[in-house]
Amino acid sequence: MKLSRRLFISSAAVTLAAPAYLRAGLAQSAPIVIGSMTPLTGGGGPYGPEKSDAHRAVVAQVNAQGGVMGREVQLISEDSETNPEAAVRAARKLIDADKVSAILGTWASSVSLGIMPLCQEANVLQVFSGSSDYLPDGDTKGLIFNLQPLNKAWAVALADLAVQRGFTEVAFAGPKNDFAASMGESFAASLEKLGGSIVGEPFYYNPGQASYRAEAEHLIRMNPPAIFVAGYVTDFVPVYRELIRGGFTGQIITLSFAVGPAFKEAVGDAANGILHGSPVPPIGKDSYETYLRLVGIEPSGQVQNSFGCMAYDEMNLCLLGMEAAKSTDSFAVADAIRKIANGPGERVTTFAEGKAMIEAGTAMNYDGASSSVDFQENGMLKSRDFALYEVKGGEDEIILTTTSDATQ
Amino acid sequence: MDAYLVAILTTAAVYVILALALNIQFGLTGLMNFGVVGFYGVGAYTSGIMTETLGQPILLGMLAAIVVGGLAGGLVSLLSIRLSGDFLAIVTLGFAETMRLAFNNEDWLTRGPRGFLIMTRPVIDGLGRGATAWFILGVFVLAAIIVFVVLNRLAGSPFGRVLRAIREDDLVPATLGKNVLAYRLQAFVLGSAAMALAGSLYAHYVQTITPDNFTTQVAVLVWMSLIVGGAGNMKGAVVGALVVTAIYEGTRFLAPLMEFLTPTQVSALRFIIIGTLLIVVVRYRPEGLLPERIAPRSRPDPVPAAG
Repeated sequence: MKLSRRLFISSAAVTLAAPAYLRAGLAQSAPIVIGSMTPLTGGGGPYGPEKSDAHRAVVAQVNAQGGVMGREVQLISEDSETNPEAAVRAARKLIDADKVSAILGTWASSVSLGIMPLCQEANVLQVFSGSSDYLPDGDTKGLIFNLQPLNKAWAVALADLAVQRGFTEVAFAGPKNDFAASMGESFAASLEKLGGSIVGEPFYYNPGQASYRAEAEHLIRMNPPAIFVAGYVTDFVPVYRELIRGGFTGQIITLSFAVGPAFKEAVGDAANGILHGSPVPPIGKDSYETYLRLVGIEPSGQVQNSFGCMAYDEMNLCLLGMEAAKSTDSFAVADAIRKIANGPGERVTTFAEGKAMIEAGTAMNYDGASSSVDFQENGMLKSRDFALYEVKGGEDEIILTTTSDATQ
Repeated sequence: MDAYLVAILTTAAVYVILALALNIQFGLTGLMNFGVVGFYGVGAYTSGIMTETLGQPILLGMLAAIVVGGLAGGLVSLLSIRLSGDFLAIVTLGFAETMRLAFNNEDWLTRGPRGFLIMTRPVIDGLGRGATAWFILGVFVLAAIIVFVVLNRLAGSPFGRVLRAIREDDLVPATLGKNVLAYRLQAFVLGSAAMALAGSLYAHYVQTITPDNFTTQVAVLVWMSLIVGGAGNMKGAVVGALVVTAIYEGTRFLAPLMEFLTPTQVSALRFIIIGTLLIVVVRYRPEGLLPERIAPRSRPDPVPAAG
């Protein structure tokens, strides 16, 4: 056969255009790609693996049941290294190389905020858990959802507890990071609303110090009846030790994750009397136990995997949103998630139940493993269960469980 | 994939500038600057404050970053430059940590841990997403080329020769009447200003900077780049930065090949691979991929014996 110029040009054009047609034709059956970015190393290292496992467990189950819109879900995991610099590079890879439709699971607020400009620019949905009050500021397109209540909500419950116990004058101390900084502001506001006040200025220390003696002495000199220390376990332990050694006899109030088993073991009897609180999953509720069993944990009636249960909800919401919107377009999915999460409609707790509702054309209301998952207009949670405890005889004794309202 | 490569090359360009800057300080002059990230951060925040808080155009932001970075370099080196070697290393490390704490605590200036949002970008308005990415890459590559050309010329000039002499033995140039302190100061200021420029570019690229962006991890990457590439050779610094970025980013693509590992294990494995590769390079090629090459000087003919 003689290769004429016309034949050459037309066949070359067909050859070059073929991939584009094939891509369009295959798009319907191509997998839906979702990014999971969890803190597998760095400061969030203890919490990342349970989040990553929850994402994978949900995806495996959904794929086994036929996928989303009949398409397979492909999960790509990246490590945020709990560092915004590394997270930005990982997000670039997820957005530009893997072409993900959504990035789920970021944990530190600095990481969620750090990758937000990239996600906003590329119209990528972000579903995460973080409590910094500054989180909604970076979102102008309505593409973020947060499974953790903001600090404002935590502060209300803790200030209530302090005032109930007769402490209207409370000093505040915390590490200088976005979490504690916004916690300090919110706690002061909540306490003032109840007629109390912060002793002196909110006191911030730099985390990762070799000694906190000067900080503890500063706090003791202010002579407050109570101190609220909004620290993590790594800095709370040395701060607390210095406070006790320095002769502080007032009330200590803190956050539950600072006084876990490791802390109680480290300080022994000296832990007694501490008041603490934090958002908790709904212990004993079917949706929470379904999650625990899915990742192979037997429910014990205690708080287990408090971050993993949020990751479970992150993935369920994202996939249900896509199924309901019949699209992976972030704006359509975000609209669908708002409807699914807030209802009104029939209660659903898993992707399979939700998919049945969508097929039947019934409205639904997703009830999650970490909370009832109702969002405000800005994608932040409306409320979450919050538990307050007192340490007695080396054990946490529950004082009360409230539902903290984050909309105030 | 194209967009991803563009993004990674953009980041790589920042590391290229940092490695070049460290090369003039450490590679040529032998000044141990472990505080790379301090100057980088100063540049990032200066530029951000200039464009966002004071509303100046981006070029002025970059210029301010260069000036403030150079000034900071001058102060740090005047404090410590007579203390060569290990002492300077510790002072610079302290400087970087001090800067990070300042970024974290001076909320009125840097917005502290909540992060500094930067809206100004080094692009002309009205480009699409893809074109914007290419444009930014172009700007960054141009900046890297300018830094390379300037520093490479300096390295080959008599100025660079004196710096090398100081590195080898500062008594020799001193004996020849060279002002060793002035040369060290110039090299340090020049390097610090270039690091600040890199910080300025980075800040306008990522658009949110927090103190966590400026931890020692960045300095370690830059040092790795220089050592892998070949300290003392400007081309080596460029190659080193590209190779280290390629390894760092390339290992991400191993995950799909290792389905049997959990993401946590893959993440740990990445760092093991990066570490192993570096050890291999340093073990088998301690002078770096492109070692420093000093052109043999053509010797003048021996003076004929007086006869």
